[in-house]
Amino acid sequence: MFKDSLVILQKELKRIFTDRRMLVMLVIVPMVMLPVMYSIMAKVSKTRSADIAEYTSQIYIHTGTQSSSEIIDKFTEGLQELNAKITRVPKSQIENIKQLVKEKEVQLLIVFPDNISENLQQYDPFDIRVYYNSISDYSEHAYSSVKEKFNEISKNVVQDRIVKENLPDNILTPFTINRTVKPSEVNLAEKGSMIGKVMGILLPFFILIYLFANSMKVGLDTVAGEKERGTLAILLVNQVDRLAIVIGKMFSVIIAAFVGAASSVVGLIIASRFFISMFGASSTDVGSYAMHSQTILQFAIVVLPLALLLVSLVMLVSTYAKNPKEGQGMIMPVYIVVMIMGISTMQIGDVPPQWMRIAPVFNSLIALKGVFMQNETWANVLQALLVNLVVSGILIYIILKMFRDEKILFKI
Amino acid sequence: MIKVEDLYKVYESKKKNVKEKIEAVNNISFQCKPGEIFGLLGPNGAGKTTTLRCISTLIKPTWGNIYLDEYNVLEDEKIIRSKIGFLTTDMKLDGFFTPDYMLSYFGRLNKMQKSEIEQRKEKLFNDLQMEDFIDKKIDKLSSGMTQKTAIAISLIHDPEVIIFDEPTNGLDVITAKNVTDFLEKYAEQGKTVIISTHIMSIAEKLCDRIGILIEGELKKMGSLEEIISGSNADNLEDVFYKFLIPDYGSQEGVEDV
Repeated sequence: MFKDSLVILQKELKRIFTDRRMLVMLVIVPMVMLPVMYSIMAKVSKTRSADIAEYTSQIYIHTGTQSSSEIIDKFTEGLQELNAKITRVPKSQIENIKQLVKEKEVQLLIVFPDNISENLQQYDPFDIRVYYNSISDYSEHAYSSVKEKFNEISKNVVQDRIVKENLPDNILTPFTINRTVKPSEVNLAEKGSMIGKVMGILLPFFILIYLFANSMKVGLDTVAGEKERGTLAILLVNQVDRLAIVIGKMFSVIIAAFVGAASSVVGLIIASRFFISMFGASSTDVGSYAMHSQTILQFAIVVLPLALLLVSLVMLVSTYAKNPKEGQGMIMPVYIVVMIMGISTMQIGDVPPQWMRIAPVFNSLIALKGVFMQNETWANVLQALLVNLVVSGILIYIILKMFRDEKILFKI
Repeated sequence: MIKVEDLYKVYESKKKNVKEKIEAVNNISFQCKPGEIFGLLGPNGAGKTTTLRCISTLIKPTWGNIYLDEYNVLEDEKIIRSKIGFLTTDMKLDGFFTPDYMLSYFGRLNKMQKSEIEQRKEKLFNDLQMEDFIDKKIDKLSSGMTQKTAIAISLIHDPEVIIFDEPTNGLDVITAKNVTDFLEKYAEQGKTVIISTHIMSIAEKLCDRIGILIEGELKKMGSLEEIISGSNADNLEDVFYKFLIPDYGSQEGVEDV
């Protein structure tokens, strides 16, 4: 029987891996697409940040009744340090300028209350109104710069008051945290574990999605396509056991899914230099991350049954559907559910809920996260293996039943 | 020899949650001897494909028996599969492969040795005049070449019986002629050929014996002469339409306006 499976497997693999179009879609596109996509995203984000930083903001200020005082001068000097054009306006113009902020013509309007010098002297807090437009990136940037600058002035004012009151200037700093040590002395995470964490968050999701998407690309055609072309009958009328057909076709889809997923992961690793900083890691961390033999073994033990499970799902739909198009319609809701499962496990903390350990797909994702972080227990890995094998076995049994059901095979 | 005994096949379908039973084939019996071409003639939905699928072990009869020599389709399906070749014109071969590869593939699935496959391929390529295109991808072949490839695939294991569902359906005149010529030759070699068709001329010219199948029932069976003479008709078409349209012929003599 396995000889027949091998014959079918060889033919299916020849079909997949010598078809130039299929090969491009399965191997080349994912490997190239991710780096290209992320490099474009990184470039766009960098250009946008540079553009915002270089932009000269239009800031209008109304200084209240006092046109000049020590504190007003401090504020205006502070504003002049920003990349901005400062224009003073009388009270009568305030509403017009607000409108201009709304229309994104002006980035900020700062309105100081009257008599702020007196307020300062009497330690009476006053409120400065800074009008901005959160829809405009330029306005938002100017707002945060102004806030930062004004907070600095506020600190200086407090410092002056402390000196004036003859109090020690460290009165406002009862303690500091890790000020006198290097971060590496206090962060006890192992070298490379940060990248392990990043990989633990991202890779399980991407592996899941690529395995499923590639299974769909290839798997829907293997049975539903043959049904549509009428060639399934010719295969069934041969002296081949139905189980041999299922096994042969299933393994070809698994291999194709793995090749596609591997190429996607390679693409993702290449692309990582563009997004790794978002997670607080650096490109040098990538080099310091190494997968030990145990990690590789655990990875294989978790991923193989996961692939089998996903391919079984696709094959089930492919066997049931009249043609690949119908199969596509049936599998899409399953794909969305699997995607949601992947996204939800990205948000899970260090201790996942216990039910996820026994839920198919979830258990693999959580185990993979632990495997990449190099802290997964063998018990959890084996549990994921067992659960997914049992569920895959059930699905394969149903597929076999379908392969013996003339109503499903010939849609009569 | 193929022997169909009281074949009865019912399909169950569900329409608006109501189960419905459709009698696709109703108690039909016939035999087809080696060297003979037997044709099931009937309109669409008459039960021809169902009958051929039952003989080919693709689907199981609800009742009745089908024998190939001493083997029964229900008990010896693997042996029967080794002795039959099944073909339908609805089939579209995967255009990615070459005829040569497809024949080797099906040969291996039929448990043939490599040398045996090579010998058989050579004979079939020669018999069907396929040498010029055996290494071309199927999607680059003409419909005639593709049909020859499909025939060769179904015959790779040298079956005793060939079952051909609508052998000329959708084919151009020349390809259809090639197919019918080939089936005649194949029967001359002492093989059993069973076909289904809804085309009168194919049944008339090709079949040694014909069974008229209408709504799952075998209305008439015999050689062309036996059918015509026993039905008080001039030709096969008249016999066929008499069964198909109850008042057929009653309007004969009425002039067209």
